[in-house]
Amino acid sequence: MRRLNNLSESSDYLTFRSSVPLRNICVDNSDGKSWKVYDAGPKSVRCPLIFVPPACGTAEVYFRQILHLSACGYRVIAVEAPRSYWNVNDWCIGFQLLLDHLRLDKVHLFGASLGKFWMLPAIFLKRLIMPSLVTKSYDPDIIEAVDFVAEKVVLPFQVNTINRLELASRLTLNCASSRVHPERIRGLQFVTIMDVFDEYALCSPVREEIYDAFPNGKLAQMKTGGNFVYLSKYEEVNVHIKIHLRKFESGSYSAILVPYDTS
Amino acid sequence: MATKKKGLLKVIILGDTGVGKTSLMNQFVNRKFSGQYKATIGADFLTKEIMVDDRVVTMQIWDTAGQERFQSLGVAFYRGADCCVLVFDVTLPNTFKSLDSWRDEFLVQACPRDPENFPFVVLGNKIDLGNAAVPSKRAERWCQSKNNIPYFETSAKDATNVEQAFQAIAKNALAQESEQDLYNEFPDQIKLTGDSNRFNNNDAGCSC
Repeated sequence: MRRLNNLSESSDYLTFRSSVPLRNICVDNSDGKSWKVYDAGPKSVRCPLIFVPPACGTAEVYFRQILHLSACGYRVIAVEAPRSYWNVNDWCIGFQLLLDHLRLDKVHLFGASLGKFWMLPAIFLKRLIMPSLVTKSYDPDIIEAVDFVAEKVVLPFQVNTINRLELASRLTLNCASSRVHPERIRGLQFVTIMDVFDEYALCSPVREEIYDAFPNGKLAQMKTGGNFVYLSKYEEVNVHIKIHLRKFESGSYSAILVPYDTS
Repeated sequence: MATKKKGLLKVIILGDTGVGKTSLMNQFVNRKFSGQYKATIGADFLTKEIMVDDRVVTMQIWDTAGQERFQSLGVAFYRGADCCVLVFDVTLPNTFKSLDSWRDEFLVQACPRDPENFPFVVLGNKIDLGNAAVPSKRAERWCQSKNNIPYFETSAKDATNVEQAFQAIAKNALAQESEQDLYNEFPDQIKLTGDSNRFNNNDAGCSC
């Protein structure tokens, strides 16, 4: 039986592709490095939500957040780093330049796997392995999510639309050990850690260490979701994002245009 | 021990505005009570690890807005619920009368696989006020008529019965979440026939 990968033909994905433009933004002069950026929702929001993809993913993996959250009035940006960054420092400098270019001072960050790990002690990075893109799950939502990521990342590599060097840079970033000082982020007050209870690439000691790194973090646990929960169980993920952002709705860090009407 | 899968129990608290849903959750999770009323907007949740029959389970307790106009999150958070807690204020009979519609609302939104046997627990809150207008017997009768829902009279203010009620909630939720769901590696069977629609029904394609 051939299993169809439905997601890239789904109406959600087609709507996303036809309504949100992909921008290429060069932030530094070397080797024509450019960031890929999807920016949806009201531009008047100065403190948007920024999605950083995992090393094995592209900015597109967040299409269900971009589409549904921007429809609710949030400004949602998904970024994808140039694949010529070889270490955390390069990445961070590039990201800073990108924020400057977008004239953003403070942002809400959403990261998955590697994305998240920019904010974490890199000891975790070392232990993190690229998800094998094989799933034992029988949940069709999860299978579709894995197929989608495989199609967007693995296939382009096979047909050489992604330069092998670029992929090597991703893998190096994924497996390199470099240190981001945990004590600097420990004080972060508003952190939500999303986690799933079914099988995924992170082993449980790493999971526990992440919990420890954010002692004030709010744990948003989901029963299932696999490696790409933002694709497979996007409704639940979006609810958790909304709950996280609601704390900021009345202030200058609001990511939504019209604050929720409480009158 | 490390390999043993942990369970996640999702519990939804429903009931009229001001009956003490948030206070009950806070008393159970944080052992705190505040006399100040603040309307819940949308929904929020707290988690607590508890022991049930020698198992460690994570209870994710969803507190919801009693006022309809604050229900801004949609119904996505109802999905996958393992137990629903219906709360009323024993001093306000109208909040008791609403239980029927809260129960119906939950069954419609959450679409549990087996609605007849889905675990509910009813809490009559604010017994510390001492002027109960809904007698225990009346509440118990209603609970019996709904497939024997367990009933507890609680006080979020002085913590009366709160621990016991949530233990019962966890037990009922766990009984529903079958052994298979929690600990078994074998997933649901896949039907190879008559299931092809599952992969096509999101298509924007031809519907003719």
